[in-house]
Amino acid sequence: MISLFRRSLTARAVLTTVFLGGLSVAIIGSFLSYSLANSFYQNRLSQVLTETERAVDSVQTTIAASSLTDETALQTLLNSVVPSLEIAGGSAPRQVALLRSPGQGQLQLFQSPISQNLDLRSIPDQLRQEVRQSPGRLTYTPVSLAEGQADVPGITVGTPIAIPIAGDFELYLVYSLSAEQRALELVQNALAIGGFFLLALIAAASFFVTRRVVAPVEEAAEAAREISEGKLDKRLPEAGQDIIATLASSFNKMATSLQTQIERLDALSRMQRRFVSDVSHELRTPMTTIKLAGEVLFSNRSKLEPALSRSAELLQDQIERFDRLLSDLLEISRYDAGAIVPEFEVHDVKAVASAAIKSIEPLAKDRNTSLHLLAPEESIRAEIDARRIERLLRNLLSNAIEHGGGKDVTVEVGENLQAVAICVTDRGVGMSRNELERVFDRFWRADPARQRSVGGTGLGLAISKEDSALHRGWLQVWSKPKVGTSFRLTLPKTKDAVIANSPLPLPPRGLEA
Amino acid sequence: MTHRILVVDDDDALREMVGLVLSASGYSPVFASDGLSAVEVFRDQNPDLVLLDIMLPGQSGIEVCKSIRAFSGVPIVMLTAKGDTDDVVAGLEAGADDYVVKPHNGAELVARIRARLRPISDEAITVQIGSLSLDPKTFEVRRGQQHLSLTPLEFKLLHTLAAKPQQVFSREMLLEQVWGYQYKADTRLVNVHVQRLRSKIEEDPENPKIVMTVRGHGYRAGSETQ
Repeated sequence: MISLFRRSLTARAVLTTVFLGGLSVAIIGSFLSYSLANSFYQNRLSQVLTETERAVDSVQTTIAASSLTDETALQTLLNSVVPSLEIAGGSAPRQVALLRSPGQGQLQLFQSPISQNLDLRSIPDQLRQEVRQSPGRLTYTPVSLAEGQADVPGITVGTPIAIPIAGDFELYLVYSLSAEQRALELVQNALAIGGFFLLALIAAASFFVTRRVVAPVEEAAEAAREISEGKLDKRLPEAGQDIIATLASSFNKMATSLQTQIERLDALSRMQRRFVSDVSHELRTPMTTIKLAGEVLFSNRSKLEPALSRSAELLQDQIERFDRLLSDLLEISRYDAGAIVPEFEVHDVKAVASAAIKSIEPLAKDRNTSLHLLAPEESIRAEIDARRIERLLRNLLSNAIEHGGGKDVTVEVGENLQAVAICVTDRGVGMSRNELERVFDRFWRADPARQRSVGGTGLGLAISKEDSALHRGWLQVWSKPKVGTSFRLTLPKTKDAVIANSPLPLPPRGLEA
Repeated sequence: MTHRILVVDDDDALREMVGLVLSASGYSPVFASDGLSAVEVFRDQNPDLVLLDIMLPGQSGIEVCKSIRAFSGVPIVMLTAKGDTDDVVAGLEAGADDYVVKPHNGAELVARIRARLRPISDEAITVQIGSLSLDPKTFEVRRGQQHLSLTPLEFKLLHTLAAKPQQVFSREMLLEQVWGYQYKADTRLVNVHVQRLRSKIEEDPENPKIVMTVRGHGYRAGSETQ
């Protein structure tokens, strides 16, 4: 629910609107209900007071008119007063009590006449005190009456009455407000139902309005996502003239211009790659002839006079260099064209590393460099294209030997649960930060002034990077001037796996210090 | 006796140069410059081996390879300007025994040719595998009275496996013993030729009984009775 609230603009807008709407409805409803209740009460109160006044008058008239001689006659008279007041109520039934004020001499036979089902609790003591203290006036208080199961509001009005012979009395009339209560409940129910429908209406309205605005924005967001994923021909529908339509048309213009740019660049780079690939292919046949001819000359150079013989040697060296360059160019153009089909098989990575070391041994011997393999006892198996990985390692080794200044070169092999790693480390001249950034660039050389002796083509590391990417692996480099350089290759053990961390540290242990 | 080698390539300079290298190595080259004349020259000169460029005008090298295979088992080594998978596999499936990627050097080329022309060693004896009998003297493979025709390479492959029945040969071992590669080479050579061999000798090539695959290791000869 919370995540929906965070994610969906519509949900947020609708919920906020409903919350605010609900708050307003509640406030208005409470106010209406309160003022209605109040006005109902006030109306009924003034009606009740008028009725009571009339009743008191009639009682006083009745008493004055009669000539009371003894208690029995008084009792009879008073007993007749109560029922007459009950019926003469007018609007709604009322209950009557004629109570003798306390603190007077006992009357022997007298009983206070009260309505049959009057609960004396509806005449609170406090009211009686107030009534006794305010002769000639009506005093009232709101009370709660038990009516059936429920309590209903009511009003009790009282006034003192003096009766000859019998002394001071208090006349109370109890009025029920149940009719007003019912009316108020009816109105409150109507308000509640109306408020609920109003809220539902607000929710629906805000949902539709928000959808109307948000839907095109969401569509634009989705389209932008698709474009960023490479579906460059994705466009938004343009309809109407409002701000949404403007958004759509601007978005489409942007997408079109992006698409044109990208396609233009794409075509250009495709053409360039195609050119490199074509040139390289076209060069192969003449290159074969040149190579064969060079070899014939070279192998027969003893029959040539010294200058010609030396020329044959130089020719042979340069043909070999040209040959390597051509094959690297072909390889990288194959990568550029996406025409590489790797051959994954399970191999022992240690054996592949050993093979690479063995094949580079002559060069190492030439440079007085010793190569060390650090690897665990057991074999380390991974699904790799062994030919490419061996080539990659050979390339790293040849770089390490070239820049290692004759110091030891170590090859460390390690594994964890999902990955294998091979780290090739030299302790030579190292590289600066700027040089490191360009180390995988095509035809880039660490130091242009330095003699090119090993005869790399300048494409080696670029191809290595592609080889490692083909395996979904990482090829990372660490270097520090005058300390050394370390290349770490990390490969997943199964070809489609994703690696999370490398089994070997970079920089390697013992080199950072 | 000097072996006669047919060189088929449309590039005049390369054709002549290959000829020089072959002559220097003691072979006698004959030439064809396009696909159509290649088959004619082949019938005419009856060479011991064909060096065949894949990219040829008119009829492609693949087509030429198929035409020659239709009537002859003479070793065919493809010259391919692309090391690309499709071309190589298409050539091997058309019946070529081996391939060399341009630009190659002379030693490499001659080594490939020599390996293909090397006869099966003299100690090789007639072996039985299932219902088949292989006679290395006559290159004959018989199933009862039925005569099966294999190319020398296919014969050598089958003989190598059948001479040590039940031994598992890895693809690398077969490349070394049958093709004569000293170092790791393209294992597709083995895969494609095992398929071709099976299609000729197995009664149901989909369900081989003679050349069995050992998953993850390679191949071995099995007997049909198993």
